[in-house]
Amino acid sequence: MKKIITILFAAIFFVNFLHAQTYKTRDGYIFFNPNKDQSHKDYASASKEATAIFKVETNEVALLVPMKTFHFNNALLEEHFNDNYLHSDKFPNATFKGKLTGFNKDMLTKDGVYNISSEGQVTLHGVTKNFSSPVKLEVKGKTATFNCVFKIKAEDYKIDIPGLVKPKLSDETPLLATIVFQLN
Amino acid sequence: MVKAIAQDDLLGSLLKDDSSKVKENITTATFKSTRIVNMQSVEMTGKGNLEFMISHHFGNFWKEGKGLQNLSQLLGFNAGTATTYLSFDYSFKDWMNFGFAMTGDSKYETWGKFRLMRQQSGKKNIPVTVDYFALASVDAAYGPSPDDNTWNRFSFMHQLLIARKFSDNFSLQLMPTLIHLNYVPYGINNTNNIFNLGLGGRYKLSHKTAITFEYSHQFNGYENLLDESASAVNYVPDLFSIGYDWDTGGHIFQFFLTSTTSSQNITQLSSNLNDYKKGNFSLGFTINRSYGIKKVVQTH
Repeated sequence: MKKIITILFAAIFFVNFLHAQTYKTRDGYIFFNPNKDQSHKDYASASKEATAIFKVETNEVALLVPMKTFHFNNALLEEHFNDNYLHSDKFPNATFKGKLTGFNKDMLTKDGVYNISSEGQVTLHGVTKNFSSPVKLEVKGKTATFNCVFKIKAEDYKIDIPGLVKPKLSDETPLLATIVFQLN
Repeated sequence: MVKAIAQDDLLGSLLKDDSSKVKENITTATFKSTRIVNMQSVEMTGKGNLEFMISHHFGNFWKEGKGLQNLSQLLGFNAGTATTYLSFDYSFKDWMNFGFAMTGDSKYETWGKFRLMRQQSGKKNIPVTVDYFALASVDAAYGPSPDDNTWNRFSFMHQLLIARKFSDNFSLQLMPTLIHLNYVPYGINNTNNIFNLGLGGRYKLSHKTAITFEYSHQFNGYENLLDESASAVNYVPDLFSIGYDWDTGGHIFQFFLTSTTSSQNITQLSSNLNDYKKGNFSLGFTINRSYGIKKVVQTH
């Protein structure tokens, strides 16, 4: 019995130990504006419910955003986004999984802005693509903010944009992710 | 240890978290438009959105005994008679919508539409969406009011919209309706309160097109009535419409064939003169467009 308890304690301790290396957030902010002219924001949309996880030991990151958490100013656009373009019932999430390069643990203990980059795979609309992009990491006290721009080409992910609206949209939509982790 | 292994795949752990969450699967887009054809659907303009709508009901498709004149009038399209309906509606909340319309013949109407429950599964299981729709109409025709009482110009409609989206493509809606006319001409069968029951639906042909239909039956106040000049009149208790919705991305176009030439719900459901059994249909179309006038999304 004593042995079991010891093992159990050890296990809990071990799990917690691992856990301490991993940061998680549930309110990541993702914004995109597909307008060709970025000063127009009629088609812009944002989600405040992205979940992200960051494992310091291995530099691994993962990001998940449910498609239906993207909201638009025009409710009709939101319906089109989910029903006609992204087919959110069939492909409920957009995900990113990858690694940070140029990152080291010490960055989290010293305030500052660090330019690093990430590499991995984006899955959107059921299509997975390799992806790499610069990342800005801002550490301030107990928060670490990752800012990253994903440039998404609709045709790469088999998203059909009707000819009527195509001229108004940019070929590459910048997707801005702002993920804030609370360090402890 | 299990946890440690699961964490090897970070994305896997996020997906597991996400799927273990009890979600609210709220049914959206039961209908494409805020109207089925003539009747209101359970849909309302999104929060902070203003919807502008133009609708036309043309003359009779085929008038009995008029023969080729019907063709020369291009099946009512070019008959020189059309009722124009113009409306604005705005949603202050996701569940609350107000509107104003001019409906032809100096009549105006204003309404409120309130969502009482939403079809959803997951956290809560609700099989239907229910809206309460209340409308007031005023006849602003020039001249003295009936019995010299301004209040006699008003009539009201209360409707419960009960809809269920059975599948991605198929939705049905039940519409019990009470109409109250403040004024009716003298007549032993004339009545102020009129009851209707309607059934509407839509079948989606593609992401952008759908067939809609509606039928409504009037239960009282349509037989052996007297009109204002004290002559006998019978109304048709049935309203039958079929429409085709075409969503262009910004606008929703609806083309329809309906057994009424009026564009006002109260007239359609209480004093319809067009008998669908005799083929007294008329063509019409609706265009609506909504504008996001209030920012609900944080955009920087």
